[in-house]
Amino acid sequence: MEQRLANTWKMTNNEKKFIETSLLSDLRVDGRTSFQYRGLNIKFGREDGSSEVQLGQTHVMGFVTSQLVQPYRDRPNEGTLSIFTEFSPMADPSFEAGRPGEFAIELGRIIDRGLRESRAVDTESLCVLAGKLVWAIRIDLHILDNGGNLVDAANIAALAALMTFRRPECTLGGEDGQELIVHPPEVKEPLPLIIHHLPIAVTFGIFGDGNILVIDPSHTEEVVMRGRITATLNATGDICSIQKVGEGLMQSSIMQCLRIAKGKADDITTKLRSVVEAHCTERAARKIKRHPSSVAVDVSRTDTVVKDKPTQKGGEFSVDKPDESCSHDCNGTGSETARRGETVKASVGAPSSWDPYSKGVDANSLKTSLAVPGRSTPSKEQIESIVDEVMYEEPISNIGSVDSKPNEAAQSPRQLSSEAKTLKDAVKPKNKRKKKTPS
Amino acid sequence: MVEEKKKSEPQSTLVDKIVVPGDVVLDLSKLSNQTIKLGDGLRQDRDSITVMKSGKLRFSKPNKYWVESSQKRYVPCVDDTVLGIVLDSKADNFLVDIKGPAVAFLPVLAFEGGTRRNIPKFEPGSLIYVRVVKANMGMNPELSCTDVNGKAAEFGALKDGYMFETSTGLSRTLLSTSTCPVLEALGKKLSFEIAVGLNGRVWVNAEAPSTVILVANALLKSEPLTAVQQRIMVESLLQRVQ
Repeated sequence: MEQRLANTWKMTNNEKKFIETSLLSDLRVDGRTSFQYRGLNIKFGREDGSSEVQLGQTHVMGFVTSQLVQPYRDRPNEGTLSIFTEFSPMADPSFEAGRPGEFAIELGRIIDRGLRESRAVDTESLCVLAGKLVWAIRIDLHILDNGGNLVDAANIAALAALMTFRRPECTLGGEDGQELIVHPPEVKEPLPLIIHHLPIAVTFGIFGDGNILVIDPSHTEEVVMRGRITATLNATGDICSIQKVGEGLMQSSIMQCLRIAKGKADDITTKLRSVVEAHCTERAARKIKRHPSSVAVDVSRTDTVVKDKPTQKGGEFSVDKPDESCSHDCNGTGSETARRGETVKASVGAPSSWDPYSKGVDANSLKTSLAVPGRSTPSKEQIESIVDEVMYEEPISNIGSVDSKPNEAAQSPRQLSSEAKTLKDAVKPKNKRKKKTPS
Repeated sequence: MVEEKKKSEPQSTLVDKIVVPGDVVLDLSKLSNQTIKLGDGLRQDRDSITVMKSGKLRFSKPNKYWVESSQKRYVPCVDDTVLGIVLDSKADNFLVDIKGPAVAFLPVLAFEGGTRRNIPKFEPGSLIYVRVVKANMGMNPELSCTDVNGKAAEFGALKDGYMFETSTGLSRTLLSTSTCPVLEALGKKLSFEIAVGLNGRVWVNAEAPSTVILVANALLKSEPLTAVQQRIMVESLLQRVQ
């Protein structure tokens, strides 16, 4: 019993009394005004669909994962969305590990109601094969630190994670056209979820005889408050859910809550959208950077071939390859941009035009080619000359040995296209020939 | 505190510097006949004194060494004055939380003129200002509401006001003899009562709740700031209120 006493968070009577009396004169212990939200900070993890939200001292982490499952019988062409909460004992000594407490279940339910029953996430687009396979989206919410108002923070974390989540694209293929192919992210750009609107939860604490309302209560205020009302609404003002616990409220107070909550929901929505947009742009930029490494590999490979046997055939091959892979990449990035927002399009659009050129070119020649506006599409001779350049530079830079590993990695997606395969086949005999000629 | 037989003048080069676990502070073999006292965060390992926790190495004349760090947990130490929260009352003891690893005992007789007849009443949740009298390993710490002479001195229950929790480092700076700049700046303009426990609990009381809130927030914000920054922060806070 002693140990349990030591492990529970306690509050003195002095604090409780002080919080109540100062609220009577419209003062809050952290210096905020009654309807002032705490500072909101949203961060994203490296993986898609992970978010970290800090609301004052409160710290919540959200993860979204997907899985292919059989749909429910009554809804054969709808995917599922489920929410799981995890209250770490690290966040608050009163949270117990393993068993979800009463509040953990309530929190999950409030967020679930706001998200699912307002149909914020388009579940029908998650259907793969009607009645057979649908995507099941799982949201995991981890409470890392309890500084009060977990509902709002967890709700924002769930939304941020959902907005940045990408599910792998899948198509039907195979011999009979019924086989499901799930494309890994390297092959086909994963798809974002379709989110119709953002239901934002805004919580108010009720003090006194139900006449004092306070937005975003901190954990000390939560101990003292008589009741709590959580309104979930989106930027257009649609009320998705209302949850009220404890003390009764006047109708006018509820209307006042909803009015204020609407304003807060607007603020949070704009913040959330701008943060997610910034993250997506950054993510797109990260994607583009990956290309040159895989490209340099191809250069070295074709070069070695050319160097060994600078015959007509070798030359032809090295010219063909950049052309072919160029069209390939253009398609890839093109569809990628189409799927993202317009803002992203601009940033992706520019690099996609130069990207293929780096196939057969080193950084210097790339710069010159970009500087001359006329050289938008390289002719055969140009590429040949470029290839020659690279060929001479190759021994110095020694790309081949450095890139031996990424080489393989870069090849794996290419193998999927039949054209690339034939090219690769073309390489092999040459290598054999090369060996034969000295002997 | 552990006492050690030592030779020569004990002065470590690391005094007032940041130390991390594993640092060797003193080499006993090089010291000539002297006694040194080791405090918190230091350990004797054969001939060397090594650090066990990160913080600032402190030295007090003539021969005391300890490591000072800032943390949320409090490790009870004899003669510290702390703020405790009464959890429960038993026949012989009050159970008091002092942010330590174990619940502390406050004997019902440990008050000025305390007898079986006049046992003070503390309901659970009351805040008391107490002194640690015993802090032995494997035992619950023992508290007292009297000073060394058995007088009540300022100890006892704290009424009203607001209590907030900070780090042990901040509470130590607030208690330092050269008055902490933030307290000095606040004290010039406002009148308030303050009780600081070494366990990182601070109690503030004043006439108006707004003063209490201002002082509490100024103190909480002051931890990472320098003396000049603290004064500027207090100025701006006072201006905003008035």
